[in-house]
Amino acid sequence: MMGSAFRGTERAATASLIALALAVCAPAFLLLSGCSHATKAPAPAEKGTVGYVIMDDLVKKHPLYDQLARYDRSIEAFDLTATAPQVAASDPHLAERERDLQKQLNDAADRTRKLIDQKQKQYQQQESAAIAAALRGAGAGGPSAAQISSSVNATARQQQSGVATQAQRDLNAYRSTLQKQDTAQVNAAQKALSVRADRTYRAKAEELQSKESALSLKMASEDAPQRLALRTKLTSLALDDAAREDAQKQLAAIDRKESDALAAARNRDQQTLVALQAQLKDQVQTDLNAQVAAIRKRSLGSLAQRQQSLARQVSNLGGPAVRTTVVNGRVKQQVSNTLPPALRARIEQLHSDYQKRFQADAKTTIADFQKTRQDLGKRYAQLHGLDGASQAGAQAQILSLRKKREDLYGEIKAQIEREVRLIAQQRGIAVVLTDIVAPAGGVDLTPDALKDIESLHE
Amino acid sequence: MNQLFARGRAVALAFALGAAILATPAIGANDVTDIGSLDQQALAALPAFQTANKQLNAYGASLQKQYLGRAQHASQSEQQRLAGEFQGRMADKQRQLFGPLFGRAQVAIASVASSKNLTVVVDKRIVVFGGQDITNNVKQLLTGVGDPVPPVTTPPPSKVGYVDQSAIDQTPKVKAVTDDFLKFKQEQDKAAADKLKGAKTAADRDNVLKDYRKTLDDQQNKTLKPMVDSTRSAIGDVAKAKGLILVVDKGNIVFGGVDITKDVTDKLK
Repeated sequence: MMGSAFRGTERAATASLIALALAVCAPAFLLLSGCSHATKAPAPAEKGTVGYVIMDDLVKKHPLYDQLARYDRSIEAFDLTATAPQVAASDPHLAERERDLQKQLNDAADRTRKLIDQKQKQYQQQESAAIAAALRGAGAGGPSAAQISSSVNATARQQQSGVATQAQRDLNAYRSTLQKQDTAQVNAAQKALSVRADRTYRAKAEELQSKESALSLKMASEDAPQRLALRTKLTSLALDDAAREDAQKQLAAIDRKESDALAAARNRDQQTLVALQAQLKDQVQTDLNAQVAAIRKRSLGSLAQRQQSLARQVSNLGGPAVRTTVVNGRVKQQVSNTLPPALRARIEQLHSDYQKRFQADAKTTIADFQKTRQDLGKRYAQLHGLDGASQAGAQAQILSLRKKREDLYGEIKAQIEREVRLIAQQRGIAVVLTDIVAPAGGVDLTPDALKDIESLHE
Repeated sequence: MNQLFARGRAVALAFALGAAILATPAIGANDVTDIGSLDQQALAALPAFQTANKQLNAYGASLQKQYLGRAQHASQSEQQRLAGEFQGRMADKQRQLFGPLFGRAQVAIASVASSKNLTVVVDKRIVVFGGQDITNNVKQLLTGVGDPVPPVTTPPPSKVGYVDQSAIDQTPKVKAVTDDFLKFKQEQDKAAADKLKGAKTAADRDNVLKDYRKTLDDQQNKTLKPMVDSTRSAIGDVAKAKGLILVVDKGNIVFGGVDITKDVTDKLK
């Protein structure tokens, strides 16, 4: 339950306070065990007794512990960034922005509908006025056809101006929204590309580190018999100075050989990583440029489309001249029979054309808004998808790291156990346990094992 | 198989007697000829356990579907009730499938332990060196014809004790400290995750993680360590009073041993 809090211990899985905290409080525990060890009976009395080792302490002193700790840190970092609920999405405001966008589009659609309604009313009023004027002109000295036409045109221009202003406002709002979305998308793309490059780099670095660790372990294992033989020889009191010096030189030569081979491998790996870093940087820049260009192109296309649509809408606002009334729920268009045939025909033609254009425009405007909304919804869904893929990648990375960590821990533990077995045999201990909760009378072999493990560093 | 087993017991008895004679000068509080080990993973790989496991998994998948179907439109409280109900059904099935197998395995382990004069059998994972590995003997009994025969004698008192650490974790003092720490850790997780989001370079990330670890380590030393020390001290005191050599976690005990959990929890109250 507190696995990540108590890093570097295999006991985490047992979710136990004591076992877990033993690893955390290693220094204190070491002191305690050191005290008990200092007062225990000397070696000859240990034959046939029970021994124990604190595996976590030994693992921490192993030459490959740094690599193990690096795995732990990497896993911890991935855990924090990939699985923490508060950072589940790469852009935490994604949903909020999507809602904003949806709201803005809905508002714009509402405005369009209101505008169309308004135009419809104005049109009806215009038509009513025109028909009334025409009737008055025919029988009661009203305005002439030219005056009616002029009045109609003036009203139409007024309408057109109002609609154009509103359309410009909508267009500006739409442009601003697109710019915001573009910025968000570019940022998200940049982040995703950087994360991908970072992941690739880290994976390569870990792969190389693993190889270095494997090489180190392989050399240590291969040289272990010779090293042990030399160390055993050095513990012999009967060894003369020349032989002792020779053995020490041989030990030093083994260490140097391993150290040189490892350093050479590290140098090569470092060069590889530098080259990879440069390559990834170029790749990120290229990919980002391409994505930015695509995003901009898409937005400019949408903006141009929207601009054209609004321009059509504005240009199509001609002045109607036919009265439309609703009688008993049915739309009725009336043109006075007393009007001169030419004027009547012209007004009817104007009305018919305008009505068709008006309806087509209304339809186009609404369809345009809906399409834009769907397009932006899709683009946001793509962003979500990108984020999901990033999350899945992080999970895969965690699993891979855990597997590598487990393998490395197994190798370290196996080597430690080999050392402990030798010590136990030398001291005549019959059985050695690890993962103990409390030592009461057993022999602590940890200090001896620590010396042997530390000698692997030399 | 029974003949083989009988012969095995005779050989084991002879070996135990021989070992006892050889070890006479060292017999005392730390005599270790009575510690055995068992590879529990090897037992879990036996066909009978594998089959039961497959059946349990299939049942679990079926239950999962049923649960999702019923919980889909249920309220939160109803979902909790359903989750409890389905967990109970799963546990029942587990008992039904594994209960007889575990019972049979326990008898086999007890039988082998008795024949080898073992007072305790621990999980092989915690044995670095020595001890008597009884895995093959137990496997032979479990895969043989007929049921293993229970031992007629009870094992002698062991010098290895054990505690149920989950029970110790539930004692009020330990639980309060643990809960506080977990709460603190959750807060730190969130803070570190937020900071990691703003980290622009690998060095920034490393610094965030370094701070995070240090904060947790400091908090552990401040709150958990004193509790751990007092708990360990209590376990050590009880162990010494009972003449035990070592104390291990209950999860690592397969057979025998001395349970000192209650003594420790009483001492911690």
